[in-house]
Amino acid sequence: MKRLLLSISDGRGFDIALVSVPLTFLFMMAGLPLAYNIVMSFQEVDMFSLGTFLRPFVGLKNYATLFSMPETWPILKNTALFVIASIAGQFIIGFGLALFFWTNFPGASWLRGLFLVSWVMPGLVVGAIWNWILSGDFGVLNYLLRESGLITGNIFWRSDPSFSLWAVVIANIWLGISFNMILLSVGLSTISQDLYEAAELDGANVFQRFFTITLPMMRSTIGAIISLGLIFTLQQFDLFAAITAGGPNNSSNVAQYWAWDLSFRQYDFAQGATISVIMIVFVMIASVVYVRSTRHEVRG
Amino acid sequence: MGIRKLALVGALAVASFWTLSASAKAEDVKITVWSLDRDIQPAPNLIKDFNNLKTGITVEYRQIQFDDVVSEAMRAYSTGQAPDIIAVDNPEHALFSSRGAFLDLTDMITQSSVIKPANYYPGPLKSVMWKERYFGVPKATNTIAMYYNKDMFRAKGLDPDKPPQTWDDLLAAARKLTDPARNVYGITFSAKANEEGTFQFLPWAQMAGGSYDKINTPGAVKALEIWKTIVDEKLASRDTLTRSQWDSTGTFNSGNAAMAISGPWELDRMVKEAKFDWGVALLPLPEAGAKRSSAMGDFNWAIFSKTQHPKEAFKVLEYFVSQDDRMFKDFGQLPARSDLAIPPTGQPLKDAALKVFQEQLQYAQPRGPHPAWPKISKAIQDAIQAALTGQMSPKDALDQADQKIKAVLG
Repeated sequence: MKRLLLSISDGRGFDIALVSVPLTFLFMMAGLPLAYNIVMSFQEVDMFSLGTFLRPFVGLKNYATLFSMPETWPILKNTALFVIASIAGQFIIGFGLALFFWTNFPGASWLRGLFLVSWVMPGLVVGAIWNWILSGDFGVLNYLLRESGLITGNIFWRSDPSFSLWAVVIANIWLGISFNMILLSVGLSTISQDLYEAAELDGANVFQRFFTITLPMMRSTIGAIISLGLIFTLQQFDLFAAITAGGPNNSSNVAQYWAWDLSFRQYDFAQGATISVIMIVFVMIASVVYVRSTRHEVRG
Repeated sequence: MGIRKLALVGALAVASFWTLSASAKAEDVKITVWSLDRDIQPAPNLIKDFNNLKTGITVEYRQIQFDDVVSEAMRAYSTGQAPDIIAVDNPEHALFSSRGAFLDLTDMITQSSVIKPANYYPGPLKSVMWKERYFGVPKATNTIAMYYNKDMFRAKGLDPDKPPQTWDDLLAAARKLTDPARNVYGITFSAKANEEGTFQFLPWAQMAGGSYDKINTPGAVKALEIWKTIVDEKLASRDTLTRSQWDSTGTFNSGNAAMAISGPWELDRMVKEAKFDWGVALLPLPEAGAKRSSAMGDFNWAIFSKTQHPKEAFKVLEYFVSQDDRMFKDFGQLPARSDLAIPPTGQPLKDAALKVFQEQLQYAQPRGPHPAWPKISKAIQDAIQAALTGQMSPKDALDQADQKIKAVLG
């Protein structure tokens, strides 16, 4: 008994007690809903059986129905396109800006802070603003493109099926640039200047220094950013709701918006849960990459 | 997943709210009412007046958001915490009545001296019915008609007192009125991929002999072809596919469209913003003499079947109905009653418009009623969007929609 008490006040028991608090919290807030969601994807859920847990199990029927729907594959393809294009855009522009501010010209840190404004804006507000910018008849973007002679007729960014997904991608890139830039800036500042001086003495040019010093030293930061980017883009919902609502004709619909639409617009909760489960698998993969790439940081 | 979590947290919050507020006064019978009306809209004001009458019934009010009405109501019903009375959007009424969630009011209505089915427009009344029984009372109603800019009609040599009567007239007028140099489109409406798109398209299909369960009739195909012509010939903005009715009519108010299809909810804003002479006309017909039709919107009152006090709840509904004559004057909403004369507002354009809307209401038809309405509606929206973006021909798109709808109807 005494040993047990001792262990709780100072020892293994104490450690376990400390760890169990966040674990319980995590289990309650994330674990349970997650499990509930997975269970629901194997059940027949009706809006009137939402309040109970005892619903008929239907095995893989929800998954079979989902993949027999004609819109499923195009929407999954859109999701992949959206994620890849958004992350690529956010990362490349963010990295470019981070390198630019790294040169430490007067006012660089101040300007860098200002960039965060886009990150703190709520998605719906950003969506509403981009809605005006991308509007077909009176949009600012069309005006700029027309005046600079790049296009002759207006592009209906939100209503033309070949542009609608890209309209949301553009807005999402804008939204994510600053986050990428800040994290990459932090990564850049940890690289020792000595390395560059030594390389310069050895006659390495700018590109050689970038590819042999900057990139390898940033490996863990880049891994973390890309997996975080994957998680954030898969969560991006507000912009779709505000700009295209998945239309026209699902040409800009993605899995996360579709899941919401099925659950809360068409009240097909089981189908919505099924899509969420498929997305969870992808996010899990990203999380593993994220955890693995940040593990190095702890060791220094 | 964020939403799912949020929904759960929301459910918890609602649950705790209800356990807290469950301690009520013992003397009075307590009736709870949920609706989406804000403080300047009917429900909270009528309830305040009712409570002042001291009838031995105390009504408690809770406002819910438009998007949450159905999910909140379902959650409350399935956990046994439903209110006594709720206001529900008319296409969703059948969902609840078909599952026995709403109380059958037929017997109470036959005995009532206040609520008489004969007083209502046929469309709204049909929306509260399920299998020939009444499961609610229409709260208010609205429909769509065609606004047109009389000044533009004059400028293009069209008679401002003769708005287009048929679809062909409409196309001809729209072609004349479209003026890209001045940023003017002939017409504006909404083909958005949500309930609004269905709301706007169904009247066209119905006028040509189609309906939600026969969506691929030649008439309905013709209707969608006209819509496609309008968009393809740039007589309406391509953004019609993604713009709401409210935003579309905004372009009419600012003089960027010569005609607009929308409802009476636009009137107050239009009176304020439109700096031109305008009028309202009935929806154009497929050909002269065809059957008229229109959409029907707005909410219904219903009593949940699990209520402890059905009689008292019905008394509250009777009070609401007895105040229907105040609906337009005080709250700018149209009562769903054909027996009430609406007094003039003193604003000539608005009064003239109101007359047209009241006439159009005679032909308004509910969407459904069917318990799986959202799925039917989605099939129609998909067809509209597939045809207007050119991914499918109107015929193929509506054939596909018909198949999906038939699968839902079983």
